[in-house]
Amino acid sequence: MSLILHVFTPENLKFLLKGFGLTLLLSISIIIVSIIIGAILAFLRNYGAKTVKKIAGAYIEIFRNTPLLLWVLAVCFMLPFGNVVFRGGLALTLYTSSVLAEIIRGGLNSIDFGQFEAAASQGFTFIQTLRYIVLPQTFTRIIPSLLSQVITTIKDTAFLQVVAIPEFTRSGFVVMGRYTKTSEVFLIFTFIAIGYFLICFALSSFVRNYQKKINYSI
Amino acid sequence: MKKATKVLFVLLIVIVLSFSLASCKDKGAGVDAIKDAGVLKVGVKEDVPNFGLRNTDTDVIEGFEVDIAKMIAAEILGDADAIELTPVTAKTRGPLLDNGELDLVIATFTITEERKLTYNFSTPYYTDAVGLMVKKDAGYAGLADMDGAVIGVAQSATSKDAVTAEADKLGISVSFSEYATYPEIKAALDSGRIDAFCVDGSILGGYMDDTTMILPDRFSPQDYGVASKLDNTDLADAVDKMITGWIDDGTMDELIAKWGLSY
Amino acid sequence: MRNSGPFALWRWERLFGEWQAFGEGFLRTVEVAILALALALILGIIFGLFATSQFKILKAISRIYVEFFQNTPLVIQVFFMYNGLAIAGLRLSVFLIGILGVGIYHGAYVSEVIRAGIGSIPFGQTEAAKAQGFSYTQTMRYVILPQTIKIVLPPLTNQAVNLIKNTSVLAMISGFDLMYMADSWASYSLDYGPSYIVAGALYFILCFPLATWARNYEEKLKSNELYRNQIETVEEALIEQ
Repeated sequence: MSLILHVFTPENLKFLLKGFGLTLLLSISIIIVSIIIGAILAFLRNYGAKTVKKIAGAYIEIFRNTPLLLWVLAVCFMLPFGNVVFRGGLALTLYTSSVLAEIIRGGLNSIDFGQFEAAASQGFTFIQTLRYIVLPQTFTRIIPSLLSQVITTIKDTAFLQVVAIPEFTRSGFVVMGRYTKTSEVFLIFTFIAIGYFLICFALSSFVRNYQKKINYSI
Repeated sequence: MKKATKVLFVLLIVIVLSFSLASCKDKGAGVDAIKDAGVLKVGVKEDVPNFGLRNTDTDVIEGFEVDIAKMIAAEILGDADAIELTPVTAKTRGPLLDNGELDLVIATFTITEERKLTYNFSTPYYTDAVGLMVKKDAGYAGLADMDGAVIGVAQSATSKDAVTAEADKLGISVSFSEYATYPEIKAALDSGRIDAFCVDGSILGGYMDDTTMILPDRFSPQDYGVASKLDNTDLADAVDKMITGWIDDGTMDELIAKWGLSY
Repeated sequence: MRNSGPFALWRWERLFGEWQAFGEGFLRTVEVAILALALALILGIIFGLFATSQFKILKAISRIYVEFFQNTPLVIQVFFMYNGLAIAGLRLSVFLIGILGVGIYHGAYVSEVIRAGIGSIPFGQTEAAKAQGFSYTQTMRYVILPQTIKIVLPPLTNQAVNLIKNTSVLAMISGFDLMYMADSWASYSLDYGPSYIVAGALYFILCFPLATWARNYEEKLKSNELYRNQIETVEEALIEQ
């Protein structure tokens, strides 16, 4: 108990919670923007004109086949604008949107092409077909993979510690720097691990229940 | 179908452009542009006692280098408080200058031939030497004892070259591990991953605790200069004139004495 | 005046003078990736089989392993091995940390793929095998696993791609891998642009063929109705427990 009080002083706790807040804020903004960009990329790669298809494809393949850490470093050190938190967030967004694009594309492709034809014969335009027939189905199908990517993205924000963005991992390491005893260091590691585990586990439990519900309803 | 993808493509381009346009106002600027902006943007350290250290009570960064920044702001803008301080690390200070987020970097930035290719440096305002921090119980008395040791250095710092040269002179060999920031080097020292934490003496002071000591070895004097963007010669000339002026009239020595810095 | 741009030609020339450092880093990355992948496969198969066994205790062990490693960041796990274990007296080499850290982390994902793959084989087959007098091991060996392998190959290959990318975490603990070498040179010479482009290209060479193969192979499997259904079961089961 005295160990806990010694490590988690009000100042340290405040500092750690601030880091936790930044991790949450970063995760949420990155995920929202990535879903939008990812969806656009998926549409372009699937239904775009030839060159557009190629450009979207190249973007997706380049980001999916190179490490996130490389983008964090490259964007943080080479981008000509923005503060470091914005840069770090942008790097993760660029990377995550390529992964999400492929998840969304997988969902779109799983829709039987016959549905497009059927809709067209009913006089639906392409946009209407997407809006009323394809998207609702796609969305239900990809929700599980989408949410597991959300979990991955939350964990990936830990990479941002390398550029000294004071997110949860970084603030944990900063606090750790003030302690040199094994028990103290272990306690802080445990605290950080639990912090991430709680959000990620809650999300993955949610996915599981959602999936079960869907399976029953079908 | 074509129309829809065209719309999406345009939307994507708009997103990309809006990211890049947000920046245009941030380009590195000459003296006039700084006057227009009304504020001088300076990168300083926030973890180096007496040079640039964040006061945890007031949340203000203070130190020798912060004072220099204030004096430059007073000279250009007539107001010592017309500055915007951004904390930088050894690794981020160069890139932040490159991309125009900062006008000047005054952050224990050592002048080297290599770096002069990329940045403008003023006349040196301070000279520091590289030092080594070790664990007390390791029993080292100096670098000469450290044959085969692993030395932790910061990426993008000159200490690696300095120690290599010194080790060659002593006829010993050491190896290096590089880390992104100083706290990571201290953690590696604490956990026994490295045998010594090597960086400019001024910086080592900020990481002392009961279990560590600084070896008497001091080598490779390092000249610190005020850095600015290479193509921004207007600003560099103006700053250099101020620095040389302060060195000549003794202002710099007074400042060094004020912060208790000794070389 | 000399061109000081981030992609100036002289920066590239200087970089190619450093090809040996980049080569060493690349080799280190490949070595760590291969060994970590082997470890991830071994752990994945063991815990994947645990998850599908009849014993509750084995299922629980597998669950704890998967949940813990899938729900905490790799960065924390690797730093724990690097600083945490070292401060407690267990000083593993960074090479070993690369293999253990990345291998154990991805082992959890591989385990889920294996579990889902086994689960996708219709239960009727197990019963039929039983009726023919097959033991549990025999059923696994001759009936379930041969089919599972085909179905899980694409998701496993995608895991391999993620694993290769994640070996870059070593750069944070002075691991002398490709990312570390590139970043170290970038910081030293200030030639950020060329260094990162070369590193990116080398990672891409490793990952792109694998990712493309996985996608094509999956498309091929999906053209077969039976496999298509099983693949979809796997995709769903990867999240559902």
